[in-house]
Amino acid sequence: MTSANVTRQIAAYAIVLTLAAPIARAQRGGGPPPPQSPRVAAPIDLTGYWVSLITEDWRYRVATPPKGDYNSVPLNPAGRKAADTWDPARDESAGEQCKAYGVGGVMRLPGRLHIVWQDDRTLSIETDAGTQVRTLRFGPTSTGASDWQGNSQASWDRMEGPMGAGILFGGGGFGVGNSAGGSLKVITKGMKPGYLRKNGVPYSADAVITEYFDRFELPGGDALLVVATEVVDPTYLAQPFWTSTHFRKQRDATGWKPTPCTVR
Amino acid sequence: MTQHIAKTCRALIVVAGLAAVAAIDVRGQAPAPAPAPGFDLSGYWSPVLHEDGMDRGAGPEIGDYGGIPINESGRLFALSYDPSRLTLRHHQCDGYVAPYQMRALGNSRAWEERDPKTHRLIAIHWFSQTFEGKRTIWMDGRPHPPAYAPHSWMGFSTGRFVGNALEVRTTHLKQGWYRRNGTPESDQATLVEFFVRHGDRLTHTVVVSDPVYLEEPLVTTTDFYRQPTDHQNWLFPCDDGEQVLGRAPDDVPSYLFGQNPFVKEYRAKYKLAAVGHLGGAPSLQPEIVSTLAAAKDDLSLERPSRGAQATSKAASPEPADGEIHILPVRGNVYMLIGDAGNIVVQVGNEGVFVVDTGTGARAAKTLAAIRTLSDKPVQFIANTSFLPDRTGGNEALRKAGADLSVRGTFFSLQFRDAGIGATIMAHQNVQNRLNAAKRPAEALPTDTFLEERRRTFHNDDAIEMLWQPNAITDGDSLVHFRRADVIVTGDIFTTTQYPLIDVTNGGTVEGEIKALNQILDRTVFAHQGEGGTLVVPGHGYLSDEHEVVEYRDMVVIVRDRIRALVRAGATLEQVKAARPTADYDTRYGATTGPWTTDMFVEAVYRTTARK
Repeated sequence: MTSANVTRQIAAYAIVLTLAAPIARAQRGGGPPPPQSPRVAAPIDLTGYWVSLITEDWRYRVATPPKGDYNSVPLNPAGRKAADTWDPARDESAGEQCKAYGVGGVMRLPGRLHIVWQDDRTLSIETDAGTQVRTLRFGPTSTGASDWQGNSQASWDRMEGPMGAGILFGGGGFGVGNSAGGSLKVITKGMKPGYLRKNGVPYSADAVITEYFDRFELPGGDALLVVATEVVDPTYLAQPFWTSTHFRKQRDATGWKPTPCTVR
Repeated sequence: MTQHIAKTCRALIVVAGLAAVAAIDVRGQAPAPAPAPGFDLSGYWSPVLHEDGMDRGAGPEIGDYGGIPINESGRLFALSYDPSRLTLRHHQCDGYVAPYQMRALGNSRAWEERDPKTHRLIAIHWFSQTFEGKRTIWMDGRPHPPAYAPHSWMGFSTGRFVGNALEVRTTHLKQGWYRRNGTPESDQATLVEFFVRHGDRLTHTVVVSDPVYLEEPLVTTTDFYRQPTDHQNWLFPCDDGEQVLGRAPDDVPSYLFGQNPFVKEYRAKYKLAAVGHLGGAPSLQPEIVSTLAAAKDDLSLERPSRGAQATSKAASPEPADGEIHILPVRGNVYMLIGDAGNIVVQVGNEGVFVVDTGTGARAAKTLAAIRTLSDKPVQFIANTSFLPDRTGGNEALRKAGADLSVRGTFFSLQFRDAGIGATIMAHQNVQNRLNAAKRPAEALPTDTFLEERRRTFHNDDAIEMLWQPNAITDGDSLVHFRRADVIVTGDIFTTTQYPLIDVTNGGTVEGEIKALNQILDRTVFAHQGEGGTLVVPGHGYLSDEHEVVEYRDMVVIVRDRIRALVRAGATLEQVKAARPTADYDTRYGATTGPWTTDMFVEAVYRTTARK
């Protein structure tokens, strides 16, 4: 047998192998199973109460920083100009007390989250800071009028290994543990302009915000929620603005205290 | 051959295909995802400085500890910290500890190490430009080393893929900081980390548990973005030098409690109350917002509380299984641990050289352990002091040994027992103290010296015994194996307790500080302040100069506080009530046992200079 024949045979068997799984499924179940709802297919459980742990950007998050203090935020000249002209009284008189509680800023504010499934295709995130509700929809999103939280499209970002890796190698070696898992990916557009920080560091209505929600289990039974956020805003940012914000799981609603938006 | 290959491939593919079919759930459900082989961390990564940009760049301000769940010890340590400490020779090249390194400035590079034949993943390496910090994350299932093994800036890490994350556990870290303003991280800290990759974005989450300085675990998350090319600048060389000329060797910059001027400056600048910006677990909870709004300054937080004295939260490095354990140190030098006092053994053709003999409670097991290292007799025993944990096994080990260099000499004509049993070397004051304690003759040194040093060339190594007058006692010696470059300190240095300054037997705090500086005068680090000369403590884990310098700093700082109180006219009781060790008690403190915090404070009080 020549090496060319060997290659051809391997290719043929590989094709057979690729087809084997769906064929077998069809034989046993009489057809492919209906697609699972996002709720059923969730690789991680994000529901429940979560409390923010303010270990980063502490001074900027626990109190409203002075005007013009936008250290670490990659503002472009227009963004700096907007931040330098922040006027809390103006926001109050305009009834825009919630500008720092929009999707671009609310996850960084000290507070708690309450995450629930509204239905099989919709997750909601309530925040006690500013009493906001974020609605994350799997599939098409609303195109209604913009609000502080915008339109958020959700999807599960699964980590898939190469086919057969777990079969051929048993998953026991190669430094491999239990790798079933994934992240929640959320893309948000169409929100009202708001603030990345309470002292008027701006994002515009053109911003696109991409988030990844990951859950980690800790020794002793605690769990962490880490939200990695990217804000892309051609109006006010010179480059994408990246933060990662973490929360600890609570057993119950202890500490849940909805409060209104405040400007200062 | 090609037919054989083809058959093998066919067999493999058929097996895999059958397995795939079998893996499908009989109920028609999609099977649980097969374990994936993780993800590839390899490549060049740059940290994103959109969080804590000033802290991680120019540096944090003194007094900015908000959001770190430090306990009282951690807070007081930070408040006492003077950044000028970094001008001390032995701190100039301090590396970063892993939890800080991952958040520091500078690019990183990751690569995999795989077995060349099986391609199994052995380790993931992570190299950071700043301080050339190199982490190895072992992926091959190996266990963590024992508690008495050395600590390092990066610690010892093992990993596995869980869910969509690389989960890493780290132990054996050195003392360092959480922020670059002196907020301390202890050598007892352990890490659980999660690396998650979303395309070219890598998010690193670290959970630090530190029983010495934290009230609850510290969680931080740091982002990196993938760089397509090598920026080429990976080196960060460091050699120490004279930065402040004429400084006294016992000068360690620090602030007395309540006298750090920059804390007040920070508070005034940002109008933040002490209850928040001085850290602690409540400072990272959402409720801190309302607390800060209502809080008035509480300056008492800058001084030790009047509460109960804290005790050490450090794990004991001493095995609890009743056995003697052997840790290779370097070359032909070994550390034996398990008889309530570290023993060092040097082996070679000339016979076994032993430094200290433990309490003697497990002398038979100590001898058995030595026998696994050498079939030569124990020829020399060196005692670093007369204390029971240094000399308790003298009789047993001496009887089991022989000094063949003495038999057949002039001495053997004079003394029938010359060379029968090992020769015990020590400073003359060790012999005097053991005599006074009525220890049997077989336990007494037979080869003593009076001044400076005793030296011998043994098993191809130059060995020096260096007398340290009035340190722990009046007869302490360091033992330096110069070729192996290992220094055995006896109880002058431990990683487990405050120095046991035995005032009754000639110990003084000033002599202890000189002795610790003598160790530091002889050490040379290998890289970024770690490695190089190895230091075997009287108790605790195998160390290098970093552990000694932190210990020296502690003794000097506590001495300075007590001296200031003494010069202000404080009585011993007033000194104790002021808790001058408050920031170190969770690491070294004891309220019971043979050596308590109060005994240490009293020893310092009685022996520090009055003027």
